[in-house]
Amino acid sequence: MVVFESVGKRYPGGIQALKDLSFRLERGELAFLTGHSGAGKSTLLRLIALLERPTRGQVVFDGRNVGKTARRQIPALRRRIGIIFQDYRLLSDRRVFDNVALPLVIAGAPYPEIRRRVRAVLDKVGLLDKERMYPPMLSGGEQQRVGIARAIIGKPPLILADEPTGNLDPELSADLMQFFLQLNELGTTVLIASHDLELIRRLRRRVLVLRDGQLVDDVPARVEVAG
Amino acid sequence: MSATRSRAGSAPAMKLPGGIRAWGRRHAFSLLSSLGTLMRQPIASAMTVMVLAVALCLPAGLWVTLDNAAHLGQDWERLDTLSVFLEGGIDDQQAMRLSSRLSAWEEITAVDPISPAEGLAELAGQMGLGEAATAIEDNPLPWVLEVTPNAADILPALAERLQREEGVESVIVDLQWLERLAAMIEVVRQLTMLLALLFAAAVAFVVGNTIRMDIHNRREEIEVMALVGATRGFIRRPFLYSGLWYGLAAGVLAWALVRLALLVLSGPVEALGGTYDATLGLRPLSVPLSLGLVLGSGALGVIGSWLAVNRHLRRIRL
Repeated sequence: MVVFESVGKRYPGGIQALKDLSFRLERGELAFLTGHSGAGKSTLLRLIALLERPTRGQVVFDGRNVGKTARRQIPALRRRIGIIFQDYRLLSDRRVFDNVALPLVIAGAPYPEIRRRVRAVLDKVGLLDKERMYPPMLSGGEQQRVGIARAIIGKPPLILADEPTGNLDPELSADLMQFFLQLNELGTTVLIASHDLELIRRLRRRVLVLRDGQLVDDVPARVEVAG
Repeated sequence: MSATRSRAGSAPAMKLPGGIRAWGRRHAFSLLSSLGTLMRQPIASAMTVMVLAVALCLPAGLWVTLDNAAHLGQDWERLDTLSVFLEGGIDDQQAMRLSSRLSAWEEITAVDPISPAEGLAELAGQMGLGEAATAIEDNPLPWVLEVTPNAADILPALAERLQREEGVESVIVDLQWLERLAAMIEVVRQLTMLLALLFAAAVAFVVGNTIRMDIHNRREEIEVMALVGATRGFIRRPFLYSGLWYGLAAGVLAWALVRLALLVLSGPVEALGGTYDATLGLRPLSVPLSLGLVLGSGALGVIGSWLAVNRHLRRIRL
């Protein structure tokens, strides 16, 4: 699904965010991306969604070298990726409903379908009663769930989450992770950047560890021992 | 947060946009969202429209004035006559003979001979001399033939031909004021054209600047739209529609202002016409001009926002 081959990313000004990074994320896999802040987690996610382009190596998403994607093709590529941001990136002057509907509106879906699917996805994240509210009226956790609803409404094959539990209390964080696991069970590939090490360890999934822009560890998923 | 019945992943990924219907729906969304943006800040939008309308009023008002002035000239051109002054020695009989000979010319519609006595009486009446005129024993006025040509454009040639007739002292063509009027109208017409160009540019720039600020204020929204896969066209479209609304609204408002001004002026103009024994009526904006004003203004709005959008969206890395 996602392949990094000797990827390097140097920002203007000489900051080397990623160095010679290689890994594969298979279709249907769920992996965590961890490391201290500044290790390059966000940059890695941004490279996949083409918010940045690699300065070396290549990033392949769905069999396509994204670094060589023409500008015109970028929107189509982004529609196949659901991105969840730590700061939610919601439109504060639009209702929850309109925020979640945005990807479908962009795709030109008919309104009855938009309404049906937005309701369904809001129901799934437990915010159906908040659809007429504006994001600033919601708590951090609720806003995060609006962002998640927006990311999954287009049924993208890949979900990228950048510190999705960063602003949540432990209980909500655990709930949210369960939600991602369920999404993954239904076939969505998920990559989550997080430094909530304890939570990650408990989930026993694959963990990619970054340090100073390099992949220093790749812990495979452990088979859960019954009992 | 139950994802057990999630359709995400199990269903095929969302199809890429295609088809006229999806295109139409995206346009409808852009159109409505641009209107919504304008409505959410009614005062700011109204002020922008007002500025644009006032800018459009000046060239439109000038154009209407010109239109009326040119029409005035056309009306009065028909009244043009030549005054043929005969030599002093010509007596009544000779004058009448010349008069009937001239009236046979095909380019002349009518000849109205005015005897020195009639001329004196008319002059006395015009100048309010009254009885003083009768006191003049020796009438100094010559015979005058008022010649009405059958077309206005032959006046100069006709005057020249009359001048060569025997017994003609001089021919006065009262054409100069008309020529001056036409020349003045032409000058003002050119001026109007230049002003129209300048104000058209002003309208485009005002709209462009408004849209630029709009883009700046909605930068975050633009970024989010790009993040969830909006094309550049989709992001650009609401701004172009906004420009169109600004332009159309300003065109309609400018039209209404000019119309109002004409209504206010029609009374005084009629009164002015009354003093000249003429019926002066103001001609309103013609239908093509009205349409041109509104649609042209709309087009300028789109052009202005197009410039702003192309320039400023590029700065936001999407």
